[in-house]
Amino acid sequence: MRRLVMVLGFVAWLSLGLAQSVQEILDRVEKNLSTPWQATVQGRIQGPAGEEELLARVYALPQARLFRVEFLKPGSLEGNFTVITEKEVWNYLYLTNQLVISPKEKAQVQGLGFSPQGLGDIRSLAKWVSLRLEGEVRLPEGVAWKLSGQAKEGQGFARMELYVLKADPRPLRFLFLDEGGKVLADLKVVEFKRANLTEARLKRYPKDAQVVRR
Amino acid sequence: MGRFLWLGILLGLSLAQGRLEAGVYGDPSGPVFAMELGLSLEEGEVFARLAPPRGALGYSGSLSLGPLGFLAFGRQAELGEGGLGGVVYGEGGVGPVALEGRLGYRPQAAPPLFPEAGGFGRLALRYRLAPKEVVGLALAYRTPLGPSSSLQPGFPPWLLEGSYALREEATYTLGAGLAPRPYALLGWKGEVGEEGEVLDLLLRLGGLNRLEAGLYLGEASLFLTLAYPWAGSVEAWLGDLGLEMGYEGAPYAWVRYAWRWP
Repeated sequence: MRRLVMVLGFVAWLSLGLAQSVQEILDRVEKNLSTPWQATVQGRIQGPAGEEELLARVYALPQARLFRVEFLKPGSLEGNFTVITEKEVWNYLYLTNQLVISPKEKAQVQGLGFSPQGLGDIRSLAKWVSLRLEGEVRLPEGVAWKLSGQAKEGQGFARMELYVLKADPRPLRFLFLDEGGKVLADLKVVEFKRANLTEARLKRYPKDAQVVRR
Repeated sequence: MGRFLWLGILLGLSLAQGRLEAGVYGDPSGPVFAMELGLSLEEGEVFARLAPPRGALGYSGSLSLGPLGFLAFGRQAELGEGGLGGVVYGEGGVGPVALEGRLGYRPQAAPPLFPEAGGFGRLALRYRLAPKEVVGLALAYRTPLGPSSSLQPGFPPWLLEGSYALREEATYTLGAGLAPRPYALLGWKGEVGEEGEVLDLLLRLGGLNRLEAGLYLGEASLFLTLAYPWAGSVEAWLGDLGLEMGYEGAPYAWVRYAWRWP
């Protein structure tokens, strides 16, 4: 019995030890998400017109450092999409049929309450937010690590919380807050699956779009 | 000393991010060399345009709001035969609203870069009623609607136009306008290939008779404009090479090439 307790204790210590630092968790997420995947992000955002529902599809080719976020809701964003490449952010705007290409450092978005870039590229997210591990919580999908931290300046939000599924390390929920603690965006990641994606599919845009380089 | 100065200027230009579009325009009055040079600044761009006997210096800026929208604005001051001139413009969209406006004056036209004369302007407003429905209202006076980069022969002196567009896979447009006689507007735009190739057709019939067609293949784009009373043009962009031939009272042609660096 004592041996069993010791073994269980050792396993518990080992599992805690394995997940001691934020960096380890992010590394695990990165490793787990190193093959092409897609997911749906849904939740509420504090948009220019007040609180709005957000629904977006995220497509990722992590090895090519290529991500695409297609917006389905709110209605004013339907048809718009964001492509994040190694060095650039492309924003396609359906209403004006423009593809606005900005270097990554110029592409921080104010006013949306969250950074679309962070939905796909979690390692980039960690560059803008000083994350720390707050512990473990039980969510409907399973046990998750809760990470939180203060955003560096100019991100459009002051603080964020990130929930990472422990059994299959990947983000489950993003919470972006302002300085007063008001929720700017509460986004859940659902319908996650591995997918067969190509670079051409992720970079596709209408050929008649006006390309604007900033 | 002069040589070093020119070397310095050339070196400065080549180090800055920029673009140069240069070409020759010809009509029965003779050939004109036309060029446009733009240099990117930290925010925005300064540009110079030349189409003798007129030249312009200007500045354009922009503001990106990520997936929410994009705004661009600019102004140019002109000097040339007949006197001074100038243009201010702005365009962009935020959320469900898009706006495009242009206002200018020049005493005399100087094609191909300064095709309008006198006071001219246009305003186009579009609003997204529902995710797949867009209504639009446009007013143009002595300048065509649409991109200023092509000449668009046969456009009426003024028009007022309302439109409704519905997107169901392809986008269908219905509308009506005055120019000054009433006309109907019909449009179809949709993808015609696997890689995002697009065909765009716009027909105005009645008091104004005009067909505009665009086929966008990626590396190449083809445009056709046909208007009655007879005027029209065919235009092709093959990579960075632009070729345009048209007729509006007299034939014309415009060949140009665009360089971008770095």
